[in-house]
Amino acid sequence: MTRLTGLGALERTVMDHLWAADRPQTVRQVHDALSVHRDLAYTTVMTVLQRLARKSLVVQIRDDRAHQYAAMHGRDDLVAGLMVDALDQAADSGDRRAALMNFVERVGTDEADALRRALADLEATQNSGRIKA
Amino acid sequence: MSALAFTILAIALAGPVPEMLARASWPMRAPRAAVVLWQAVAAAAVLSAFSAGLAIASRIFTGEIAALGWPLWLCLVGVFALTLLIGARLIIAVLRVAIGTRRRRAHHRMMVDLLGECHDDLDGARVIRVPETLAYCLPGMRSRVVLSEGTLTALTGPELAAILRHERAHLRARHDLVLEAFIAVHTAFPRFVRSGSALAAVRLLVELLADDAAVRAVGPTPLARALVACSVARTPAGALGAGGPTTVIRVRRLSGPPNSLPISLAAYCAAVAVLVVPTIAVVVPWLTELLRLILI
Repeated sequence: MTRLTGLGALERTVMDHLWAADRPQTVRQVHDALSVHRDLAYTTVMTVLQRLARKSLVVQIRDDRAHQYAAMHGRDDLVAGLMVDALDQAADSGDRRAALMNFVERVGTDEADALRRALADLEATQNSGRIKA
Repeated sequence: MSALAFTILAIALAGPVPEMLARASWPMRAPRAAVVLWQAVAAAAVLSAFSAGLAIASRIFTGEIAALGWPLWLCLVGVFALTLLIGARLIIAVLRVAIGTRRRRAHHRMMVDLLGECHDDLDGARVIRVPETLAYCLPGMRSRVVLSEGTLTALTGPELAAILRHERAHLRARHDLVLEAFIAVHTAFPRFVRSGSALAAVRLLVELLADDAAVRAVGPTPLARALVACSVARTPAGALGAGGPTTVIRVRRLSGPPNSLPISLAAYCAAVAVLVVPTIAVVVPWLTELLRLILI
């Protein structure tokens, strides 16, 4: 279990490095950059990059001399995708609505007004209850 | 005529009964019992549909064409085929919903783990760095509660605690499995016999259950404020509500009458009756008939 979370953290670090780099990186380059902060085996970095490639987070660019790796999407694009996935309630295809459970549903402007009134009612009853007590 | 009885029962439990139950307002005051009653109705509908199919099959294959006449016989074959179709669709729907849900969830969890920061002071919730107010959970074995920076800045401590309790209640009670079952049944039954209200009603009821957990921890006002803050912040100008006014219902309920034990008990009794009475009334005579056939 700790090994899994450890690898997860390493995956994040590798992605952060690829996002910060302005060009595709070789395993050696990623390893050198990460080794500054922690003791890390070359093969570990290679494994992580291959895992990330399998997850379609990273593209492998085949060069003559060495494989190079780059982030498939920018960080902001991934965040935007995550938001769409989380907020997209309109497309009700069944499995989409069961995958995650939202705290609130999207409301229209009429409902927003009704919500504010309902909250005001609740606060009024709570206050009057407190005064009586 | 057990085949006919089962067919009528299946149709009643798939259409008019859910319609009536969805219109009732008492489930708001007994959400747990109401979820159990909905499950009992759905299970009874599926069971009686299959029983109808079996009863009809026994009539078709014991060679009563002469006795029944061709038109009725064809009609029975039609109903039997429909039962088989529903059965097949139910199996496919259960598998498709289960696989699809888990695939989407695993992908989303990977993104959350990659892009979010784990906050120990928020009970291990992941925080995404966006100004919008996000609050949701990913159920499952490796569950996640996801918030956004927008939520953290817009809400006070007790309000955040209300959200966390709400989401933890969903995760602990595996409300997602209840919903999954209803989604599967919903997709399996043909459009003209099913009632769409069951899924929507159960969706609201599990939210009420999680709301109750939050109220027990922090009281109604922080929860109501959190509900309003999250949904109002998310409203683009002139937007149409996608899910209907369920959030309004949830906030109004917090100033309404409390949950009622007598209503709960009545609903639990109804749930038992829905499953047991038809079984005794219809299955037992049919089984004895079948037994007699086999013994002869």
